[in-house]
Amino acid sequence: MERNIYAYKCKRCGHVQYPYRTICRNCHENDHNEFDIVPLPKKGKLLTFTHLFNPPSDFSTVFLSLGIVELEDGSRITGQLSIERPTIGMHVRANVEVVRKDEYNQYYGMVFYEA
Amino acid sequence: MSIDLEKILRPTDTPLPEYPPKYMTLAGGEQLVIRQVTREEIPEILPHVEPLMHVERDFYDIVASRVYAELLGYYTYRVQDEYVLAAQIDGELVAVVNGRMANKDVGISYHTLALRRGLRVGAHAFAAKMEYHLDILGQKEVLIVAESPIGFRRWMIEYKLEKRFHVPHELGGCPSWSLTRELYDAARDTLIVGRRPVPEQLLKKAQQAILPPTDPPRPPVDLLAATRSLYDSTATALLEQRKKLGGLRDA
Amino acid sequence: MRDVYVAGIGITSFTRLEYPLVEIAAYPGLMAMRESGIKSIDQLYVANMGAARVNHQSGLASAVVDNLSLTPAGAETIENGPASGASAIKQGFLAVASGMHDTVMVIGAERMREVNNLEATDFVATLTHPMAEYIYGVTLPSLAGMFARLYMEKYGVTSRHLAMVAVKNHKHAMDNFYAHLHEEITLEGILDSPDASTNNPIVADPLRYYDMCPVSDGGACLILTTADLAKKTGKPMVRLAGVGQATDTHAVHDRKDPTDLLAVREAAKKSFAMAGVKPADVHVAELHDAFTILEIVESEEAGFFERGQGHVALQEGYTRIGGKLPINPSGGLKAKGHPVGATGVGQAHEIVLQLWSEAGKRQVKNAKVGFTCNFGGFGNNVVCLTFIREG
Ligand SMILES: CC(C)(COP(=O)(O)OP(=O)(O)OC[C@H]1O[C@@H](n2cnc3c(N)ncnc32)[C@H](O)[C@@H]1OP(=O)(O)O)[C@@H](O)C(=O)NCCC(=O)NCCS
Ligand SMILES: [Zn+2]
Repeated sequence: MERNIYAYKCKRCGHVQYPYRTICRNCHENDHNEFDIVPLPKKGKLLTFTHLFNPPSDFSTVFLSLGIVELEDGSRITGQLSIERPTIGMHVRANVEVVRKDEYNQYYGMVFYEA
Repeated sequence: MSIDLEKILRPTDTPLPEYPPKYMTLAGGEQLVIRQVTREEIPEILPHVEPLMHVERDFYDIVASRVYAELLGYYTYRVQDEYVLAAQIDGELVAVVNGRMANKDVGISYHTLALRRGLRVGAHAFAAKMEYHLDILGQKEVLIVAESPIGFRRWMIEYKLEKRFHVPHELGGCPSWSLTRELYDAARDTLIVGRRPVPEQLLKKAQQAILPPTDPPRPPVDLLAATRSLYDSTATALLEQRKKLGGLRDA
Repeated sequence: MRDVYVAGIGITSFTRLEYPLVEIAAYPGLMAMRESGIKSIDQLYVANMGAARVNHQSGLASAVVDNLSLTPAGAETIENGPASGASAIKQGFLAVASGMHDTVMVIGAERMREVNNLEATDFVATLTHPMAEYIYGVTLPSLAGMFARLYMEKYGVTSRHLAMVAVKNHKHAMDNFYAHLHEEITLEGILDSPDASTNNPIVADPLRYYDMCPVSDGGACLILTTADLAKKTGKPMVRLAGVGQATDTHAVHDRKDPTDLLAVREAAKKSFAMAGVKPADVHVAELHDAFTILEIVESEEAGFFERGQGHVALQEGYTRIGGKLPINPSGGLKAKGHPVGATGVGQAHEIVLQLWSEAGKRQVKNAKVGFTCNFGGFGNNVVCLTFIREG
């Protein structure tokens, strides 16, 4: 099954926002707050990144690579990186995977690979 | 007669190679020298360890008490195959570490005591001790326990030590952790630092005299704090507080 | 609106404190009352971020007002992340300015070292966007790392510049009795020597250990009052002249330019406008350097330096004590310490001390106008204050 991360497209002005907001950031429409749910694209360009060497205690890895990616449609997302030597501006593709687990839940998010 | 008895009481030490001294630069730019101290130097160290026995924070009290006993044991020939390393800045004593050789292959880490905080001197001294066991004595592993959360973070987590829980450690029979050769090699570039030989002046200064610590850990200011603090994980003031409260009995 | 003045200040050491949170809050209050001769107040605001979670205590203000035997004065706890402190001062300001109260005590207090470092970092990480950031393992240091990388690439800032911030602030803290860290560090020790990468390991690439503030406990207090009452204290008259606050998107990735600190820019502008001064008029500033990079960028966003020039000013010694605009004479969050909820009040404490000319060895000469910038979240909620000494 192909998984996606969803963004919210304003029914009035077409602005796509991620993460969810109750009121559209672009047109501030508040008569209704209706959005079309659209999957975020999975290709983009790496804006910046870090390797975090003291990740939260529930991560068992030595370090955790995180980055901010500008996706093809111009929206931005924070995600994990599975890239050995990331560089600013490099092209990346995403896969939606489990990014964090706690006792009862697993959380899906975007993990980026070199495109 | 008494001479003979002393002979029986004393263990026969295996001759151990000396730890070659090394030095490194600290965050503040000071040069830290780590070297092995001789039995004769122990009385110079003891007076600086003693006050820490009364520092009821970060488990300095228990660690200092045990270190004191072990140093005395070394001085009076009551521990077999023990060694003591000292870390000094301009002669000032900033950390003491010790341990012993259990057998040819296995080393026992006793204690690490930092007398100056915030500069990783404890961590550097511990690393030197591991170097002694694995590189100089050529042992296969070192068994380690931690008595404090800071120790646990520094050793178990930073070195990713392996569990040897079926082996009770010499220190109170607690479950042991092990630094194996592989783990040591993996840490070599990041945790084990320092250069040799130590410049002559630097080494001379260190050997000349063991100077007292200028800013040693001190007891908490408020000894009664723990009685007022419901959730106090800092292990503060349990003995002194009872003394001060006088009448308070064990529940 | 009435003018609002500072009547008294108090502070604890920012370090690991081994007494209960309520007393961490109460002690600076006691100091401030003693110093100002004020025995009763109308209202207490207590800034705190984590008591309910970290110390198993909620309703902190009610506990503190009783501990100081100030009942039946009103009391409220103010939570605005790491900007709780300045937010509470803002509330105090409004209460006096509006005429509702004459004397208001503002306390900031935090006890974070009751839990271990990982737990403390996780507690602060709950500031991030729960769905878009937190689940990935994002913590404040990692946001700072990503921010720093982009900013450094854009403006030619190097790790050396960041280290200079740390060296400067550690040096400043040497003369601050209440500071958490009293160790001087050198560029050689944390950057150049062969052992530097062990002394100063990478935490959130490109940021290293010495680029981050310590986890501290601590409390600070400011008593705010009217001109008439302030005169009676006999202290120099220091007016809280400007209060500005602004916000930005919750998720950092959502910002148009991720190297922008829009909220700092806006909050500083509002604060200066209200005080009727320009950035160039400021003599001393306390900026929110939870990460060294932030001191540089905030100094630009507040308007002290052109964009991309903050690190140049730093390098030229402009921002150290004795320079043209000393920044973080207290040691800043970097070396004075960062008890999150107390930090904003701690910054104001330093500025008032400077404007009173009571800062001892770290005194900034002839300081008349002082500025603080307190950062909640990663730049998404910022409160800036401007203090002016009169006469
Ligand atoms: C464990 C020990 C050897 C580590 O020494 P070290 O590597 O030089 O490290 P420090 O003690 O200076 O620093 C450890 C922590 O204490 C903090 N610290 C630094 N200066 C401090 C001070 N003046 N007061 C309190 N804490 C301080 C450091 O910030 C660090 O915390 P962090 O990891 O969150 O940054 C030393 O803490 C010690 O001697 N403790 C008591 C004895 C003990 O527990 N020994 C180990 C048992 S096996
Ligand atoms: Zn819209």
